[in-house]
Amino acid sequence: MAILIDKNTRIFVQGITGREASMIVSHTLAYGTKIYAGITPGKGGQQVQGIPVYDTVKEAVEKHNVNASLVVVPPAFTLDAVLEAIKNGIKLIVVTTENIPQHDVIKLLYIARKENVIIIGPNTVGMINPKDRIKMGSIGGDRPDRCFVPGNVGVISRSGGMTAETSWMVKRAGFGVTTSVGIGGDSFIGSTIKDLLALYEKDEETEAVVTFSEPGTSFEEDAAQFLKEGGFTKPLISFVAGKFTENLPEGTVFGHAGAMISGNTGRPSLKVKALQEAGAHVVERYDDMIGLLKSVLGEKVGEAK
Amino acid sequence: MGRMLEDASKTILKENGIPVPMHWVVESAEEISQEQLYSSRVLKALVPVGKRGKAGAIKFADNVDDAQTKARELFGMTVRNYPVNKVLVEEKINIDEEWYVSITIDPLQKTPVIIATTEGGVEVEDLVKDSPEKVVIYNVEPFSQLHPYEAKEIWSRLGVTGKPLVKATSVLCKLYEVFIKYDCYILEINPLVLTKDEDVMAAASVMGVDDSALYRHPELAGIVESGSERSWRPLTDLEKEMVKVNDADYRGTARYTEMEGGNIGFMCGGGGGSLLSFDVLVSLGASPANYTETGGNPSEEKVYGLTKGILSKAGVEGLFVSQNITNNTQIDVMARGIVKAVRELGLDPATFPIVVRQAGVNDEEGKRVFVEAGITYFGEDHTIEEAAAVMVQKMKEVC
Repeated sequence: MAILIDKNTRIFVQGITGREASMIVSHTLAYGTKIYAGITPGKGGQQVQGIPVYDTVKEAVEKHNVNASLVVVPPAFTLDAVLEAIKNGIKLIVVTTENIPQHDVIKLLYIARKENVIIIGPNTVGMINPKDRIKMGSIGGDRPDRCFVPGNVGVISRSGGMTAETSWMVKRAGFGVTTSVGIGGDSFIGSTIKDLLALYEKDEETEAVVTFSEPGTSFEEDAAQFLKEGGFTKPLISFVAGKFTENLPEGTVFGHAGAMISGNTGRPSLKVKALQEAGAHVVERYDDMIGLLKSVLGEKVGEAK
Repeated sequence: MGRMLEDASKTILKENGIPVPMHWVVESAEEISQEQLYSSRVLKALVPVGKRGKAGAIKFADNVDDAQTKARELFGMTVRNYPVNKVLVEEKINIDEEWYVSITIDPLQKTPVIIATTEGGVEVEDLVKDSPEKVVIYNVEPFSQLHPYEAKEIWSRLGVTGKPLVKATSVLCKLYEVFIKYDCYILEINPLVLTKDEDVMAAASVMGVDDSALYRHPELAGIVESGSERSWRPLTDLEKEMVKVNDADYRGTARYTEMEGGNIGFMCGGGGGSLLSFDVLVSLGASPANYTETGGNPSEEKVYGLTKGILSKAGVEGLFVSQNITNNTQIDVMARGIVKAVRELGLDPATFPIVVRQAGVNDEEGKRVFVEAGITYFGEDHTIEEAAAVMVQKMKEVC
């Protein structure tokens, strides 16, 4: 089954005629993922790499019954694009755009919450389900198979690049992934670690989840609380990067915009502690993930179908 | 995120109808004149950091001589790494009560949030913990304005009544308008003063503007220092050079932060990949001379400029190049930029260790370029941590 995307996902791309979208679209098609439609205002009637372009989401929904949007529009137009998708009944939206004004982000997240829409991102590399060969976003680049092979492990990463690297660690350990999700590097994002753990918990194919985290936000603390409440019962293997930042002056951001320590909020050491206390396997060294995956899942993975 | 100095934020508040003390900016003590000193004044160091009172960067004066002496002291100070180049001379207002109000974005609710209290002179974070009943925390719906009745209820809950309630309600609504109008991530008034004349006045303000939104605020150009929250001190010369390298080409990103000391040049990529790489070097007892992230498929020129900058820092005796497996960054382009910088500086990998761990788009060609230059290359068959261990070992051999 995997989570979020599968054979029933009917993707369309908002902003399909842009420079950024063209590479994503060609890689996505080459991987075997079908894209049903694209939206660019004023360019309705054109084709992009064989995909019909429409002026409005409404037309794409009516003609192709699309149900998942990949938003690849510039920051100034993202809020409107997401509102349009939500208004037209789309319940899964991947927002790749970086540097969207924060006030616009909280607006789009607010409407999404009210309408029960799942948002991945903003500022995300996207997600991939290798079994169904479906991906949304730039994830995997020109060779998704290098890092993403089908299997029974879920991957959640706050870093786009480390979504690939972490999925490759899973592959190196002899396993594969159900769905790998880059949740975006910002502090204000739609789906957090906890939200996705809830989905992986319900997914029969997923036997364990690996997370890659960074300083900043309270996503890990929230996930730990979720574990304690019994919301996620499968093995969770976590790595928190950026330990060195704790010894630097407060307020400094390294890495992504969300990776900021303020007071005790966002400290890697406290994230590690919270996750450990909640029963997660927290690896001190990133490479330890391989051995741990083997020992935790060695016998388990592969049985599930 | 971009900070704004206090005089700029006060000017904006004033333009938007919020009472603020009269103020002047001086760049030397001699500029302070009789005209500014007809009554008592407050002198504040104009630096983009908080808690200036505790740092001794706020002083009071009653006459010109006194003010000039104290201003000289301020101009001689460095407040949390920021040298004082400007001083704010301000009307000292007749304080009856000191209040606090801030507007930020609530990370949990993901909506704007107002935090208000009539308890002055305390750390609001502590007050929230110790006496939550004395603080109102109020979330505002993102698409809505702050209605006057909402502002009124906030102050009323804190016990404000009479004329001050009417004034405070109006000020809070206007503050919220400013927060929205200028795409702020923070607007903090500490203290918000109730004067003896029952006026409500913003005595000190902190305003930070989201630099992602600066495109729709041309009026703030030059006032907000874009990206200024990424540093805990003014940019070093080398950092300024690297900003230029980054800005010269829109393709990809190159960020550079200088560390104190260190002997390993750090040329890493990806937000998370760079954090991981730095952690590993530190955990192995090595000391990187800088922090860097590059990504988003930078041009050869940008990679070359960044590498040259990294290698130009005094005391750098080796170079570690590491990145997560890339989605779009072209490894061959990275390789050519790095090798060009290394060759130009005449560095010999036999005595100046260079270890690369890069995999992703076009990595076969990238490998060829690195290997041909005598550089130790690892691709996807090795992890970032394995490559870092080799780097640290090689440094031990030459140092």
